[in-house]
Amino acid sequence: MDDYTIGVLTNVGLFSFIALSAYLLLIAGEMSFGQQAFFGVGAYAGGALTAICGLPLPVAALGAMALGAGAALLVGWPALRLRGLYFAIATLAAAEMFRIAFELIHFQREIDGDLVGPDGTQGFRGIRWVFENGVEPGNYLVIVWGLLFVVMLLFLLVERSRLGATLRMIGEDPELARMLGVDVERFKLGIAAAAGALAALGGVLYAHHNTYVEPRNFDIMLGVHSLAYALIGGLGTAFGPLLGVAVDIGVLEGSRIFQGYRMIAFGGLVAILLVFRPRGLLDERIVHWIKARFASP
Amino acid sequence: MLADLVQNTLDGLAAGASYALLAVGFTLIFGVLRRVNLSYGPAIMLGCYAATWVHLNFQAGLLVLALTVVLFSILAGAYVERLCFAPHQDAAWAPSPASRQGSAIAAMVASFALWMQIEEVAMLALPKHLYAFPSLYDGGPLVFGPFTLRVEALVMIAAALAVCALLWRVLYRTRFGLAVRAVIDSAPAAQLAGINVPRVLMQVFALASAIGGLAGYLIAASHEQVTPMLGMWSTLKGLLAMMIGGLGSLPGAIAGGIALGLVEAHSQWFLGPQARDLIAYLLLFVLLAWRPRWMTTRSAS
Amino acid sequence: MSETLLEAKDLITAYGKIEALKGVSLTVRRGSITCLLGPNGAGKTTLMMTIAGILRARSGSVTFAGSNISSLWPHDIVAAGIALVPENRLVFPSMTVLDNLHAGAYQRRDAEVESDIEKLLQRFPRLKERSGQNAGTLSGGEQQMLAVARALMSRPKLLLMDEPSLGLAPLVVEEIFRIVAELHRDGTSIFLVEQNAHMALKVAHHFYLMEQGKISFSGDPGSLAEDEVIRRAYLGSAT
Repeated sequence: MDDYTIGVLTNVGLFSFIALSAYLLLIAGEMSFGQQAFFGVGAYAGGALTAICGLPLPVAALGAMALGAGAALLVGWPALRLRGLYFAIATLAAAEMFRIAFELIHFQREIDGDLVGPDGTQGFRGIRWVFENGVEPGNYLVIVWGLLFVVMLLFLLVERSRLGATLRMIGEDPELARMLGVDVERFKLGIAAAAGALAALGGVLYAHHNTYVEPRNFDIMLGVHSLAYALIGGLGTAFGPLLGVAVDIGVLEGSRIFQGYRMIAFGGLVAILLVFRPRGLLDERIVHWIKARFASP
Repeated sequence: MLADLVQNTLDGLAAGASYALLAVGFTLIFGVLRRVNLSYGPAIMLGCYAATWVHLNFQAGLLVLALTVVLFSILAGAYVERLCFAPHQDAAWAPSPASRQGSAIAAMVASFALWMQIEEVAMLALPKHLYAFPSLYDGGPLVFGPFTLRVEALVMIAAALAVCALLWRVLYRTRFGLAVRAVIDSAPAAQLAGINVPRVLMQVFALASAIGGLAGYLIAASHEQVTPMLGMWSTLKGLLAMMIGGLGSLPGAIAGGIALGLVEAHSQWFLGPQARDLIAYLLLFVLLAWRPRWMTTRSAS
Repeated sequence: MSETLLEAKDLITAYGKIEALKGVSLTVRRGSITCLLGPNGAGKTTLMMTIAGILRARSGSVTFAGSNISSLWPHDIVAAGIALVPENRLVFPSMTVLDNLHAGAYQRRDAEVESDIEKLLQRFPRLKERSGQNAGTLSGGEQQMLAVARALMSRPKLLLMDEPSLGLAPLVVEEIFRIVAELHRDGTSIFLVEQNAHMALKVAHHFYLMEQGKISFSGDPGSLAEDEVIRRAYLGSAT
């Protein structure tokens, strides 16, 4: 497999994390324009933990996830009290504040003769743990997709469990959930934390793949894109967001035909798709149908 | 010190006037649809790019350029309305709040998709990162003692006032305005009263796009340039101003725009450009989280 | 036999997969007061909304004064001469009483709108007192009057009323039904959905019972003992 294809596939995997993060909140009935903040937190924190503190990537990843969850709680605690559109705009405002914070952080240390660390708008260079430890692009691809596989497994297990049913009910009819004794507010906070951790995991992997991140990477475009991936792919299953990412990055990037017209094609297709399938390609109805067909003969 | 304060206030008012116009357009659309049009800024950007193209290829006067911006903003707005909002309107009657929110999300994500599309069209036509845009006035700024006020700023403020006055007349003195107010107040009730709601939606979209286009023209002429960031910038400023002023209220949109302009001008002077943006977002987040009464004039479910 | 003004034939209206109307047929005779009774959830509001054009029937037809109105937009149905006073009144809360009335006349281009408003304010003196107030500040009964008055502004030939007495005090309810009788005397045909079967039967010339999306009984008051009607209206025939 050539390096270009490996790169494309890795990107699909990386952005799937943030798409899944947006998806998780969408099924809980919340539209977030701000998951990119936690993606960024994961990238910066993870990068700092390996490049400055010298920790190995797995440890850094866990630390990044914890920080991502924490940041999500910080935002979620005031924001989740808001309904619908107000919540969405609040997440957008919060994410932009994070991005500006990244632009204001200057914290560099000298490591092996180089200045390493975030340098405001210049970004954070030198996140080289992957290279220094001899991880080939092909191996990294396996790592990313391996972790994604684990995450998907967790999602699918949750979908079948009572937790998953509660989650969907909160999204569909929170009043009913409340009447059945579910602490909707607490639940949503938990979901927000999980989504934050998920996005942060994507972020730390992203930072180590690119070895360099800058605040511009975590702007509103990323946030709205993630939401779009989740919605387009379909809200019926965790494969939906992956499909959304794959369609955008994979197909349109990979096939050179759309070079230069990628957004014209993608944008138009998405708008048309949503007219006919407002819950995405793999929406609840199709997933139900697929499950029924593959159920007991 | 006082001189700085006054100067910043003047600058802030001018910027605030442009934000107010953007917010008014956003609010009109939100008022009748209960949805945010993420393609609002990009439509304006397309208008400005179209005018830039005209400027580069023909000898065009200010009026022609302004009309080009407005015309293309309206056209782009109509395209977005037909593809992203009209198809999801029936679902607005759906019985469950979840399916109503679902169709609202679909409409907004669709408008985001078209945002990308419209931006790419504009950038294919004019690929550079910056284009000069003819200014309104070639002379220097007006000077009163220690203060300066650019002519563009004055025009911007005057335009904002004129648009507000005109809009008030339309809303409160015309039959169309009655229909718009009715749809904003309760679209279902408007249907029952015999108002052609789909047509009102199209007309309001056109009106909002026209106002946005005017704002866009004045902004481009003030900055004397257009860049690809104009789309996102306009959307953000309009959205911020609308939300600061209290979602869904026209006077609120104007107040929010002016407030945003003033906060930005003063923050930038004392603390620099990043702090300026940070404080604006912080202000919005705090207002949303704390939610004083005057912010919740309309529901946004 | 008076002429048929409105005829619904085999109407099926569904929300997604759930059929709320499972083949409803009924007629409203010109110059009459026709009542629709039935338990909650029977589909009465769905039927009203289908006739008014707000919901589209999946199959079946609605004919009004000879023409098929099944696929018309709501505003065209108002123009054709049908006005609906909906279940939750749906006044314009931030607009004044006067503006609410003007909105009701939206489809009209004639010169008598102002004189109609005058006449309506005479008929509803409480609205006249509050004509400059925002509709949202009115009491439940006043909002109901306003909703009726607004519907009347379009000079409908057929007035649809969905549970006009809902949530109102008994005195107000009596006033509402007095107005219904008055309107009928003045020539408007009325199709009325009501929970208050007792009051409804006092004014109706003909009534229907609806249960679970279908018409279960059709007759004139007196053709069925009143307490039987009331029982079926609240509990359904299966009891």
